[in-house]
Amino acid sequence: MAYEAGVSATAFTAHVERNRPLGAGYFVLEFAATCETGVADVVPGQFAMVRGDWGRDLLNPRAFSVFEAADSRHFSILGKVFGRGTKRLAAAVPGEKMTILAPLGVGFRPARAGVTQLLVAGGVGLPPLHLQAKRNAAAVGPNAVEVFYGGRTRDDLLLLEDFEAWGVKTHLATEDGSLGTRGYVTKPLVSRVREAAQRGESVELLACGPTGMLQAVRKLGLDHGVPTQLCLEEHMACGFGVCLGCAVPVYGEKPYRYCCSDGPVFDAQEVRWS
Amino acid sequence: MNTSAVDLATTFGPVGLSTPFIAASGCFAYGEQFAAFTDLSLLGGISTKGISPLPRYGNPVPRICETASGMLNSIGLENVGLEVFLSEKLPFLREQGLSVWVNFFGTDFETYIECARGLNRGQGIDVLEMNISCPNIKKGGIEFGTVPEVAHRLTKACVEVSEIPIVVKLSPNAGDIVGMAQAVKEAGAMGVSLINTITGMAIDVHTQMPRIATTYGGLSGPAIKPIALRMVHQVARALPGFPICGMGGISNGEDALEFLLAGAHCLQVGTACFAEPGAIVRITDELRNLLHRVGFSTPSEAVGKLKTRPQEPAWSA
Repeated sequence: MAYEAGVSATAFTAHVERNRPLGAGYFVLEFAATCETGVADVVPGQFAMVRGDWGRDLLNPRAFSVFEAADSRHFSILGKVFGRGTKRLAAAVPGEKMTILAPLGVGFRPARAGVTQLLVAGGVGLPPLHLQAKRNAAAVGPNAVEVFYGGRTRDDLLLLEDFEAWGVKTHLATEDGSLGTRGYVTKPLVSRVREAAQRGESVELLACGPTGMLQAVRKLGLDHGVPTQLCLEEHMACGFGVCLGCAVPVYGEKPYRYCCSDGPVFDAQEVRWS
Repeated sequence: MNTSAVDLATTFGPVGLSTPFIAASGCFAYGEQFAAFTDLSLLGGISTKGISPLPRYGNPVPRICETASGMLNSIGLENVGLEVFLSEKLPFLREQGLSVWVNFFGTDFETYIECARGLNRGQGIDVLEMNISCPNIKKGGIEFGTVPEVAHRLTKACVEVSEIPIVVKLSPNAGDIVGMAQAVKEAGAMGVSLINTITGMAIDVHTQMPRIATTYGGLSGPAIKPIALRMVHQVARALPGFPICGMGGISNGEDALEFLLAGAHCLQVGTACFAEPGAIVRITDELRNLLHRVGFSTPSEAVGKLKTRPQEPAWSA
């Protein structure tokens, strides 16, 4: 069947309950839906299409990973101001009405017993991995996951207190060296992957962040034979497999699959990046 | 408000429609995904993603970008191809209780004819919508949509092999839209759909690159509505009674009524369906209420009822 993803998704109205600025342009929008939805069953990596009462400009909703989902009526997204859409969302006020389609897409595969998940987040790629870390720490134990988190400066590394509270080990990196290792997050990740290989420890990589980082993580995973899942991002008009705008180049029978309905999480082996 | 007096059922040439609204080609895929979000039986019809004889995998990314009140796309006519369409997609469409329009195209005369002939093997297709106007096809396609003589020959060739009525989807990129409509009408087209997207581009100043991979793409959405209305009006005035399916940025009931007044007999809604899977159902309700409010009891009563403005006397200096 061509269309399986998103069948649990529904279109619904939600109101902004809280807009929590996190500094440096980052914000968390907390929503209360006006009806029961499928968001409580969200798999980390699955996403929501979010649109405010924007009239005829901006036209299309914006895609965000589901950041947290407390119950079937309450969930949140974490964004950063980049363009016109995120600028408007960052200015949303409590009570503001939004139309939502969620939960959409295919998220990360479930954790496997005895395999440590190394979660690699770059900048605003944090949300699905934050949720994954929280879930796994609760379900399997804090040692089942480790977080590798990189950004330009210390202001880009958010919610570190959450990982601490869950007992999840973090490896931080900033390009300017203001927090953690100076340089890219792949630096501590490479050491950790090598260490695992030497110890005969089973690990897998789950990554979300800028394309450059994902390309590096993909290469690292492939070079070391470590199972690697990448949570990708593409421009989307619809989010549910219709506009065909969010093509992802893949190896296989067909040259493209779709970020919204086949992903956003893809196996690194499948993604056709040079 | 009592709007039960308004009956939205209408006809488009020989085709009966439960409402004047057809989901526009390329914006509704083959209908399946929308069933999760909206009641398909409330639509007048669906025009499918454009079908070609062989499957097409589409263009490189980025394929879309948003612009002021619109969006650019260059999907590259990706589709499952004729055979898969007939065996896997058509059966679903025909069970939905709506008018089935199959948009199709080729890359040259032979493949257009092959596609039209092949689609005639399918059961339950009401209209073949012939796309002579997609800007996203590289090979020679541009002449089909812009040269009346070529469009005439192509239409005639497809009409000759098709029992199913053919509606030609015209390009706004043609210099003479009335000449194009006239040419396909004389070739035996049952009607015309207008307009397709308008060729445009957008540039990212930070990377100094085009925002979509193919540089140019098709502009759709509310941004193109005034142009679409003008073209519908011109064709309606020049070819009275010739069925016109109007489209271009329709996103609410007022937009829909504007197109009817300009002379469209039925309507397509495309880009609006991306942001809101239930857009057509909402617009249908809005049109029903609006027709009642302004005193029409059916959509066809409103068709072409544009009034002329009283003229000022001409002053010369």
